[in-house]
Amino acid sequence: MRRGTWAVGLVIPVGLAIVWEFAVRNGLAPGRLMPPPSQLARTAWSLARSGELQTHILATMTRVLLGFAIGATAGTLLGMLNGANVWAARLLDPSIQALRAIPSIAWVPLFILWLGIFETSKLTLIALGVFFPVYLGIFSAVQSVDRKLIEVGRVFGLSRTGIALLITWPAVMPTWIASLRTGLGLGFMFVVAAELMGASEGLGYLLLDGQQMGRADSILVAMIIFALLGKACDSVLVALSRPVLRWQDTNRVRL
Amino acid sequence: MTRLTVRGIGKTYADGTEALRGVDVHAADGEIVAILGGSGCGKTTLLRLIAGLDEATAGSITVDGQPLTGTHAAVSAVFQEPRLLPWLTTGANIAFGGRSLAKAEREARVDSLLHRVGLGGYAARWPRELSGGQQQRIAIARALIGHPGVLLLDEPFSALDPFTRASLHELLLDLWRELRPTVLMVTHDIEEAVVLADRIVVMRPHPGRVQETLSVDLPRPRDRLAPAFDLTKRNVLRAINRSLAAPSPGTTTAAARATADARRHGTESRAAPGPVTSPWV
Repeated sequence: MRRGTWAVGLVIPVGLAIVWEFAVRNGLAPGRLMPPPSQLARTAWSLARSGELQTHILATMTRVLLGFAIGATAGTLLGMLNGANVWAARLLDPSIQALRAIPSIAWVPLFILWLGIFETSKLTLIALGVFFPVYLGIFSAVQSVDRKLIEVGRVFGLSRTGIALLITWPAVMPTWIASLRTGLGLGFMFVVAAELMGASEGLGYLLLDGQQMGRADSILVAMIIFALLGKACDSVLVALSRPVLRWQDTNRVRL
Repeated sequence: MTRLTVRGIGKTYADGTEALRGVDVHAADGEIVAILGGSGCGKTTLLRLIAGLDEATAGSITVDGQPLTGTHAAVSAVFQEPRLLPWLTTGANIAFGGRSLAKAEREARVDSLLHRVGLGGYAARWPRELSGGQQQRIAIARALIGHPGVLLLDEPFSALDPFTRASLHELLLDLWRELRPTVLMVTHDIEEAVVLADRIVVMRPHPGRVQETLSVDLPRPRDRLAPAFDLTKRNVLRAINRSLAAPSPGTTTAAARATADARRHGTESRAAPGPVTSPWV
């Protein structure tokens, strides 16, 4: 990509922001339910100065990352187990698929009954949301590793463990990372659900608080921060995975 | 010293298909033996049994008198496709074949093999950056880094253009002269067999059996344009024709007979049924 061409993507959001700011300032539109950018900046600044914003971000990120770590680890281990062992797959996969058919949010009432309204139920919900895409991704990837490459491992004397570590694992790596990215996205989705169901801090709480107080500006600030955090986390994941995926033959345009 | 002896090998798949019956093949130390035959005569199956990738249902395979079970450090292979591991650089792919060597020794061999196969500056490249012929060179280097006693080649040059194929024949012979592995190669290319092999085992299909074995008594390097070369090629072709004319036990022989008739009259019919038509006549 030529330098500077990325700026094309800014035309629409920046343009809309300028038009909206102009319209509200000149009395052409009411700014109460759709505050202009300058109002959002002021709100964000005052939330940040009081330290409130940092508390919310910290609470939300802790939940997302912990839930993601639990769900991704469980999904990876179970996916590898079922991919490698036919009997494990026969025993476990049908139950996992059945559980997957339940929309994850439907667990909320039960989790609250079982685990209370505090952190445990929130983390469980997020971990559950992250688990399924990671599990499915790695399970199907392990099953579809090229038999011909496995044979190379056998001819050159690898044990079963050696084949798992030196052939299967690198072969499933691209799918695994793609499924982690999907999982992380779902982690952000479910942290909102978890925080909307009752929390005293977190960006989801900020959303709910804004609704109850009629503060569209703090709702929008929370949404924008969600977008920034989600994008930042995904970028970190991509950057971490880049060195191990350099071998791939892709023509993906970098966005 | 590595002698490879295949005695009475048979392979019948679980669905009842008989791929091989009573196959005897012997390769003396440092000998190059070519297994020649059309598709369906079980030559790749035979190689897979020796490589330890499949299990025979009858017979025995021995290396220096020791029965071979499963994969074996003394037996290495190059496949029809390069089968490089795409996540390893070319250098690391070669090293993969010599994981049991000490690190310093392995690195020295990788380095020298890269030069020997004419890809000296390519150690850090990814397999996808190489052409098919270059990838196959790396695959040959990977198979030889451990100095195997037996090298199995499963039509490794069949997907390459004639120019690349000829240069890889030369490369293989160079490396063979240096390391002297016993080579068992499967091919459907008569010229390739005559260029490379000391002996040619002609197989026939349904089920795969040995038709006959021919010695190639041509001095190396072999001149493809020499009359003696042509003569040998013709002898091999005759053996192949005999294998196609022979009735197949256990299957209907009408098709084989029809083709044999057509050939006797010099009018190989295009309409002759599929499995026994020769691609060379």
